[in-house]
Amino acid sequence: MARQRDNLWYKDAVIYQLHVRTFCDSNADGIGDFAGLTQRLDYLQDLGITAIWLLPFFPSPLRDDGYDIADYVSVHPSYGTLEDFKTFLKEAHSRGIRIIIEMVLNHTSDQHPWFKEARSSRENAKRDWYVWSQTDTRYEGAGIIFVDAEASNWAWDPISKSYYWHRFFSHQPDLNFDNPAVLEAMWEVMKFWLDLGVDGFRFDAVPYLVEREGTTCENLPETHAIIRELRKRLDLAYPGKMLLAEANNWPIDVRAYFGNGDEFHTAFHFPLMPRMFMSVKLEDRKPIIDIFEQTPEIPDNCQWCIFLRNHDELTLEMVTEIERDYMYDEYAMDKSMRINRGIRRRLAPMMDNDRRRIELLNGLLMSMPGTPIVYYGDEIGMGDNIYLGDRNGVRTPMQWNGDRNAGFSTADPERLYSPVISNAVYGYQAINIDSQKRTEHSLLCWMKSLIQLRNSFQVFGRGSIQFLKPANHRVLAYVRQFGEETALVVNNLSNSAQAVELDVRRFKGYIPIEMFGRNLFPRFGDLPYLLTLGPYQFYWFQLRRI
Amino acid sequence: MSSALVEDTFLADDLLRQLMSVGEVDLLVGIISCSDTQTNSHALHAIEGSFQRHFTRQRAVIVNVCGGDKNESDAAAATGLTNMAEKNARFGQPVALRTIQRVTADFSVPPTPGTALRTILASADLLRARACAVVSPGTNLTPGWIANLLTPVYREKFDFVAPLYTRHKFQGLLARNLLYPMSRAVFGCKIRELYSDEWGFSGRLAALCLNQDVWHEEPIQTRPEAWMAISAISSDLRCCQTYLGQKMQSTATSSTDIVEVFRQAVGNLFWLMESRQAAWLEGERSEPAETFGPEHDLTAEPIDLNRHRIFEMFRSGVTELEPMLSSILDPETHAEIKNIVSLEESEFRFRSDLWVRTLYDFAASYHHAVISRDHLVQALAPLYRGMTFSFLVEHSQSSPDELEAVSESLCVEFERQKPYLTEKWKANVEVKS
Repeated sequence: MARQRDNLWYKDAVIYQLHVRTFCDSNADGIGDFAGLTQRLDYLQDLGITAIWLLPFFPSPLRDDGYDIADYVSVHPSYGTLEDFKTFLKEAHSRGIRIIIEMVLNHTSDQHPWFKEARSSRENAKRDWYVWSQTDTRYEGAGIIFVDAEASNWAWDPISKSYYWHRFFSHQPDLNFDNPAVLEAMWEVMKFWLDLGVDGFRFDAVPYLVEREGTTCENLPETHAIIRELRKRLDLAYPGKMLLAEANNWPIDVRAYFGNGDEFHTAFHFPLMPRMFMSVKLEDRKPIIDIFEQTPEIPDNCQWCIFLRNHDELTLEMVTEIERDYMYDEYAMDKSMRINRGIRRRLAPMMDNDRRRIELLNGLLMSMPGTPIVYYGDEIGMGDNIYLGDRNGVRTPMQWNGDRNAGFSTADPERLYSPVISNAVYGYQAINIDSQKRTEHSLLCWMKSLIQLRNSFQVFGRGSIQFLKPANHRVLAYVRQFGEETALVVNNLSNSAQAVELDVRRFKGYIPIEMFGRNLFPRFGDLPYLLTLGPYQFYWFQLRRI
Repeated sequence: MSSALVEDTFLADDLLRQLMSVGEVDLLVGIISCSDTQTNSHALHAIEGSFQRHFTRQRAVIVNVCGGDKNESDAAAATGLTNMAEKNARFGQPVALRTIQRVTADFSVPPTPGTALRTILASADLLRARACAVVSPGTNLTPGWIANLLTPVYREKFDFVAPLYTRHKFQGLLARNLLYPMSRAVFGCKIRELYSDEWGFSGRLAALCLNQDVWHEEPIQTRPEAWMAISAISSDLRCCQTYLGQKMQSTATSSTDIVEVFRQAVGNLFWLMESRQAAWLEGERSEPAETFGPEHDLTAEPIDLNRHRIFEMFRSGVTELEPMLSSILDPETHAEIKNIVSLEESEFRFRSDLWVRTLYDFAASYHHAVISRDHLVQALAPLYRGMTFSFLVEHSQSSPDELEAVSESLCVEFERQKPYLTEKWKANVEVKS
């Protein structure tokens, strides 16, 4: 309970990411809802996760999976009511699970009343809530993000006969944060949800809030000022709440979003994710070490959030062209697996359903510095459907059991928001929670024990990291230290058995205790410590001086 | 029992431990370090640069064979390598995705080329390298050279890659007038540079060579590279040539002593003929070797040569070695040699047919060991000077293309007279005591 009251709770958290639509349908309409999600909270509590990050559940035309919001302070009718949400929140909290929701500051849907008003006439009071222009040549330094879908960041509005600015889809006009009223409106939105009891916000598309001529319109000082203002108000009125930044940038650039501990509490470490996949495929620790060497220190009250997969494509923005080509060749040979600058696949199919590699990557996720985020379904090795459009292939219904619709819904299959995965390898008949619960050695049970282990030691969430660099480059080894807790993690990134000699002389006299089995290993001495590891095997050792 | 095992291994435990950490690789480049740290550092940079630019995805290792100067060269090179990777990354240059591994085989004294090569081959075999190269730090090595040596093996599945260089028309005359045409006629493969400081080879060829019981042989210890090529040819493995560019040898590593060069290169060729006779005695025609880049690139700028001195050395050498030559050469050949020695410098010409016959006589006598083989090889040096003088006089005004035509006709002459060699080789010879 002490940890529950800790304002730095996000450092120890294991976050589970899901979309309410995908999880459980309680009213047989083929779409997941809050009532269904609430029914499944026991499962999540049993899994051991400590927070849920909910993807957008607000009223929306759903042309961008809910990131095109038409009403910030309500629940999309397909997912239930505000009362359903309140019940869900209360039930989650009663199980010790915190709730993080989306805050899409940068843009609204073009169906949002604000935009409808703004485009209605150039004199409308909401006109200045968006970014308008009579030409489409302003801000030419800003790149196009959805290169597969958009040719320009400007779209012509035939109603008010002007161009409006959009960094994402053209149906998502950007809000104008140069107008103080916009900031006030967004703070009102935050207060609404905070008053209900949510524990944090994931701020979407943070770098793009403000535009300035002659710049890339990303990461501008004015954007940081907005974040600092919101953070100040949050700390004053709602202490213990958390802000998570989505800024798909290099660590050195994202570092700015932590400010002096007065902007975001947490931020995604985007470049790490593709490098974990790269390291396993290359059988070489170099990509991971390289990116950590480029990762600056962050304030004590801040934390990275790390992940393997999420609802979007596996983004390859933060890699070199050579690295991107390599990732495509190794993980997305079929071009339909690619979208924008990324790969739209789930974890298990990317690992060829190799249990050892899935475990290794999850082991890395749980033991490297940062708060881990598990994408729904990855704990059982769910597959994807690359033949669904956009990124919908990784957003298919949760597979609860082998019954109709994978136990997700009792609606007719044709009515489901998305077909369930039904192929021979990843289909719900083979991969589902009920069957894995019945098998002690299933991936689900293994994930449960992994998360439990992670939750038992603060060192993984809060500890420093020091990489050991043994001569064997296929082995990634690091020491995590926090207070009296010291952990040594040794990972074999390769498909073959490896021997490694670790220089652990500074821990001479310590006894390594293998964390999963609580077995003692020989005490460290003056000589290099020899370990052998099977293919993709990893050890977590607690180091104790007794 | 245990002592026998110890004798059977030549790999140091330290090297073996380093190799264990490297694991399987795609590419291996071996470098035989010299005593000059700066020169070694340049070569290591070139190798690393090649991996960074041309083989970004491959598993690569550098095997640095050095003798007694490990720490110094390692430190200098390691610093440079790190800086290079950082620099490449900063300027958006390709950077290898994987760790570029480096192992050091440290000998207490500088190892012979044969021992160094054996270490490199063993490393390649243990690491299951697919494509390998051996380079010398004493040349103007570039990343592109390394890539050109490795690529035919890695991508085109060749087993041996010989280099080709841009040369002055009067540079490399030993190769042009002796080593190339003779090896081509004897072994049937048109590889121009059998004796070089850098070459590429496959893991398959590495394993094949490693397992041959020849490592105690003196020719292998001094010049093992041609033996690798001949091993590939006689095993029906695929050989090719690749153009590297202009070669500049550092003065620190180049040898100007023609007799020593003869002992190493010509002695080596004769030894190869001896040890590989089963592979060539029945062969008749030479097969072309696939070439990547231009097959020849000659420059013709004027250079200052003391031809008179060369002629005098020829004449005095032949006169001095007269008794020895009479044992080596066929009487008819010997008579012709004596005849041309008596000519005035202005009238002197060493005909190509006589040159070929002379060499074949020497080779056959080497085979029959009519005199000490070492002395025999050295006795060829004055005759080579005569041939060189003749060549320089005849072709002082020849264009590169004309020179190539002359070289080709010499090669054809070697091939035409090969039955003469075979006959002499197979003949029963009474060795004089």
